[in-house]
Amino acid sequence: MKVIFNIRRFDGEKDYWQSFAVPVFRGMTLLEGLFYIKENLDGSLAFRASCRMGVCGSCAVKVNGKPVLACETQISSVNSSKLDIEPIDNFRVIKDLVTDFEGFFRKHEAVKPYLIRNDDNYENPVELIQTPKQMKSYYTFSLCIKCGACYSVCPAAATRSDYLGPAAITAAWRFIADSRDEGKEERYEAVCGDNGVWRCHFAAECSEVCPKKVEPAKAVQKMRIRTALHAIKKVIL
Amino acid sequence: MSVADWFRVRGRSLQSISFSLHRLTGLVLFIYLLMHLSYLTSLKLGKEVYESLIATTVSPAFLPFDILLLLATIFHGVNGIRVVLNEFGIGYEARKAMLYAAYLITAILWIIASVAMYNFVVGVR
Repeated sequence: MKVIFNIRRFDGEKDYWQSFAVPVFRGMTLLEGLFYIKENLDGSLAFRASCRMGVCGSCAVKVNGKPVLACETQISSVNSSKLDIEPIDNFRVIKDLVTDFEGFFRKHEAVKPYLIRNDDNYENPVELIQTPKQMKSYYTFSLCIKCGACYSVCPAAATRSDYLGPAAITAAWRFIADSRDEGKEERYEAVCGDNGVWRCHFAAECSEVCPKKVEPAKAVQKMRIRTALHAIKKVIL
Repeated sequence: MSVADWFRVRGRSLQSISFSLHRLTGLVLFIYLLMHLSYLTSLKLGKEVYESLIATTVSPAFLPFDILLLLATIFHGVNGIRVVLNEFGIGYEARKAMLYAAYLITAILWIIASVAMYNFVVGVR
């Protein structure tokens, strides 16, 4: 059986659609289909992939309008004999399915996605004890693989390029909810602007498309309440 | 990057479609508000001008538009309450049930309001 891969390509100047007939087998993934095209039909096709097992977050593409990880999506699961494959939205396209993640990672960096401790002592490190319950409070949010699927469907990000986006705010929440962290105030400042949590209008599509079920929409709303309380506290005290 | 991106619905879930409809009905209500204020301002030109405008729009010919306007208003209001609750962090886990409930409540209120408006305009008094 052959499935038509209708790919939106971009050569640096113009974008155009090109179709490829790909022979598929049971269990074949979209990524395997893209590799088949690159190896047998058109070597100039550009796409990004690395781990092939849903861990690196490199291969997010839009298939029939929905962002998915190419490596984790079986062709048969899309249930269509023709697949419209496009680069994910809200990112600048570099070539074909490859998009520019520079801004996405700068936003991620802006929320300080690492443990901040006041007692850092690398000479004499101490174990930071945490109960299973404490770990569970942020565990889901720590599963983000930075594939950009959430950002690509966010209507708030679509109309404002400096919006931090669901992934970055989720990363901020992941550390704020972590009992070992002591950098909450810094992160509140980073996300409480109008390009932060207040830009979200709860379309909640980010949670619908997240391939790791991280629930970014939940993280943004939790963050929203915390930053609101933080702002009120700042005015009163 | 444009407002057209608010209305990108291919491949999206009902959550996004509701967001798009919320924006769309918001624009409709904004245009209606401008018309409403124009009508009120017409009072400055005299009672007759205002009454002639009202006679045109409060009529059976305009009833379908009024009923569609009702739909837009009720959807925007009900969906708005759902979004406000979700944005306060209330009912995140039940967000899909709340979404379906919002559509159900909209449908029920729309039918009741449409019947009331029909009776008022067509004159089953």
